[in-house]
Amino acid sequence: MTKKGVKISLEKGLQNQIRDFFKKGLEKGVFDAVILPVRVPGKDSYAWILMNNAKLIDQANPVPPVMPVQGAKALKALTRKGNGIINVATIMRSCEIRAAIELSKLNQVNLEKITLVSYDCPGAVPMKGYNRIPEEMEKSFQNALAGKDFANDKMKEVCGICVDFANSPADLHFGFAGMENDGILFSNSDKGTAILDTLKMKCSEDDSQWKNSVNIIKEQKSKNRIEVYKSIQPEVEGLDNLQTTFAKCIGCHNCQSVCPICYCRQCYFDSSASKQTADYLQDKAKNRGGIGFPRDKIMFQVGRMAHMSLSCVSCGQCMDACPVDIPVAKIFSYVAAKTQDTFEYHAGTTADGAVPLKVYKQDELNKIHELIKNAEPQGSQHE
Amino acid sequence: MEKEFIPRITSFVCKWCTYTGADLAGTSRLQYPTSIILLKVLCSSRIDPVFLIKSYLKGADGVLIGGCHPGDCHYETGNYHTRRRFKILTEIFSTLGLPKERLRLSWISASEGPKFAQVSNEFTDKIENLGPNNARENMFL
Amino acid sequence: MNKVIKIENGTKQGVLNFLEHLITTDKISGVLTLRKINEKGICDYGFISDAKELKFADPFAPVMPINAAQTLSSLTPTTKPIAAIIKPCELRGFVERVKRVQGSMKNVLLISYTCGGVLPLNTFQGDGSEKIIADYYNAISKGETPGSIRPTCKACEYFVPMMADITIPLLGNSESESECSLIMNSEFAIQISKEFQCEIITSELDSKIIDKVLAVRISEKEKLYNKTKVTKDGLDELVNIFGKCVGCHGCSRVCPICYCVMCDFESHNFDYNIEIFETELEQKGALRLPPDTVFFQIGRLAHMSFSCVGCGQCEDVCPANIPVATIFKKVGEATAGLFDYIPGKDLEEAIPVMIFKEEEFEEIGK
Ligand code: SF4
Ligand code: SF4
Ligand code: SF4
Ligand code: SF4
Ligand code: FES
Repeated sequence: MTKKGVKISLEKGLQNQIRDFFKKGLEKGVFDAVILPVRVPGKDSYAWILMNNAKLIDQANPVPPVMPVQGAKALKALTRKGNGIINVATIMRSCEIRAAIELSKLNQVNLEKITLVSYDCPGAVPMKGYNRIPEEMEKSFQNALAGKDFANDKMKEVCGICVDFANSPADLHFGFAGMENDGILFSNSDKGTAILDTLKMKCSEDDSQWKNSVNIIKEQKSKNRIEVYKSIQPEVEGLDNLQTTFAKCIGCHNCQSVCPICYCRQCYFDSSASKQTADYLQDKAKNRGGIGFPRDKIMFQVGRMAHMSLSCVSCGQCMDACPVDIPVAKIFSYVAAKTQDTFEYHAGTTADGAVPLKVYKQDELNKIHELIKNAEPQGSQHE
Repeated sequence: MEKEFIPRITSFVCKWCTYTGADLAGTSRLQYPTSIILLKVLCSSRIDPVFLIKSYLKGADGVLIGGCHPGDCHYETGNYHTRRRFKILTEIFSTLGLPKERLRLSWISASEGPKFAQVSNEFTDKIENLGPNNARENMFL
Repeated sequence: MNKVIKIENGTKQGVLNFLEHLITTDKISGVLTLRKINEKGICDYGFISDAKELKFADPFAPVMPINAAQTLSSLTPTTKPIAAIIKPCELRGFVERVKRVQGSMKNVLLISYTCGGVLPLNTFQGDGSEKIIADYYNAISKGETPGSIRPTCKACEYFVPMMADITIPLLGNSESESECSLIMNSEFAIQISKEFQCEIITSELDSKIIDKVLAVRISEKEKLYNKTKVTKDGLDELVNIFGKCVGCHGCSRVCPICYCVMCDFESHNFDYNIEIFETELEQKGALRLPPDTVFFQIGRLAHMSFSCVGCGQCEDVCPANIPVATIFKKVGEATAGLFDYIPGKDLEEAIPVMIFKEEEFEEIGK
């Protein structure tokens, strides 16, 4: 099904086009404020800034090279409590939009007054790389963006395998992949369509060229994804391998605290409920000869997977924040693909519906019944 | 023309002494500046230094704490603790090069209406000289 | 002069012999020590109860996977004696925790050593670390400061353990390959090691070496503080430094002093209604989301800086490469200095905010 979108000239560059769009929106009162990334004074990162002043938009870089704070977290900070009166628009990467959608399904973000805009994402530069040589990274990212390069090796590893780089339920989307001098701005929702109407932006452009290009890129990324998943599989299959992979883990829980999906104020694995007494620990050491600290490294990782992998959007933040460089995001992405497939769910890609753990069908997952049956000892009383 | 600078001074005062002192200043028609915004707490020791930091970072031009004189605290030793915590905070400010002049601690008893007026005036003058707190404009905090 | 156990074996082997004796004769139920957990040389802290497992122990490994003060908190109070062999700043961290009732020193045989510093986590556990580690041991046996250690270690003046039951001279000890001395500082240490077959002499740490290292550390500290423009530069510089903070709060989670299960800055207290943002936007025109980046840092300083032991753990885990520990150490020195307080020096010394003197500091900011 082809869609119509607004033809966008990219002559002035994508960043400027997007700035103009937001300025226009503010001037016309379509929204009262916008949330955009602005480079911090140290020039070594970006911050999400909520602003209501059109002049400030010139300072913003709508498509920044890095993702220091997952955008969904900024939206959560703003909308989790109370009912706002102002309409706010923001532009974010696909994984940020998808995380925001998941959070809204989990009642942590309220999207009622938020307009989500997205774009074809060329990936994000890892934070640690950017911190050290910001100018260099800035350049390579802007080149990738201008050159419509969706396979740039400076980006986070998970970006290379992201099949949703141009796919999110954002109200509006700036597409430009594979297009020559133009881009296309189209709507995915009634909210988006209403905004284009108010701004008198005409949807006359056919999206088929863009769609074809996106599909080609997607195919390549799918292939990479299979490869990466294949390479990660032996690292996490079986307890021994899991233990080797997480041997370095120092239990800092940075991975959890930067994850957009892990919204709990107090993570179960940080709570007193998960702590063991001194006597218990000493007994355990006695039985085993010795115990290691931090405790429960694998318990934490697998537990976190059980709690949130159904909503993981493969944004890579966890891996970026790990001080000992464990490929956390690759592992979570791999596991999430499996758990999400079980429910034919694809986190954050549709705006409606519930997260799989909130709903059930009476007749589903029949394979599990078989598994249970097979596992049961012969002559068991339970049928 | 430049707008006239009217400082905003967030003032945490204890209910038993300083607040009553401020009240007395009011009823005795002593002049004290409108810059003083009073926040009543049960005891000066209730004031987590974090409140003061927040006030400063949100743009308060001055932050004032008022409590009972040492030895007179309604809860006996509360204000001795306040004094240490406040001292620590000013030390953090000066080590980081932040304007510790914008922080002020004073002991004002229930009967010291005039002292309340005097401290308020002095501190307001000082803040006027310092000018507005530039944290108010900073969007990256 | 102290009683000293002399063992004709390398320092590491000597200590392990001693620990083996304590475990096999049931004097202690186990020992907390760094240990190797795989052939790649990755270390964690292990609580070892079986003497056979001591072969994995690597008590002097220059690494701090977690600050052992946290670990000791979870292993205490204990009715049966245990031993712990940890670094001086970890010991000080533990003392600070005990003052906060987050553990107990009773029945804990605290063994520590003159410390040459630790390598950043990624250096120690990264590829090609063998050579760096070998160079490290070489340098510290000569009492030199290896270039590869954490910045705050280079600047650490408290490399001689305080409050240890047993002190082991390691730094500047050229004989550490061939002999081992355990300096007994407490009655507990003397009692528990009574049955250990060994030579006993009287001796003490070589003050010449200590003074030499101290001089280097002090000058390194000045350099470090000057390099990190934390001081006197005000709010703008603070924003320059912390502008890239991602708000992960990893720094507080790994800090031995920050013991709160629920940090105030993650609590409901600082989780705002949208109306608050709307009002602020009205006044300011622009604000950061999530908020409170600089606030968290100054707030944490106000809550704990006077107890900061300068271990450097916060800086090592910071994903944004912010020199957190340098700043906390510097500010901590100033705030603790107001009360002549040295964090973790003495269990009997109360935390400055828990006590007061009637006559001190007049009205402030007059
Ligand atoms: S688990 Fe990692 S990759 Fe997945 S949503 Fe969380 S931070 Fe992103
Ligand atoms: S961020 Fe890395 S070191 Fe920290 S808990 Fe997660 S996996 Fe472990
Ligand atoms: S560890 Fe670094 S990024 Fe995380 S909160 Fe602390 S200073 Fe900020
Ligand atoms: S603030 Fe940093 S350096 Fe100081 S004790 Fe805590 S983790 Fe160690
Ligand atoms: S009651 Fe006034 S300071 Fe405590």
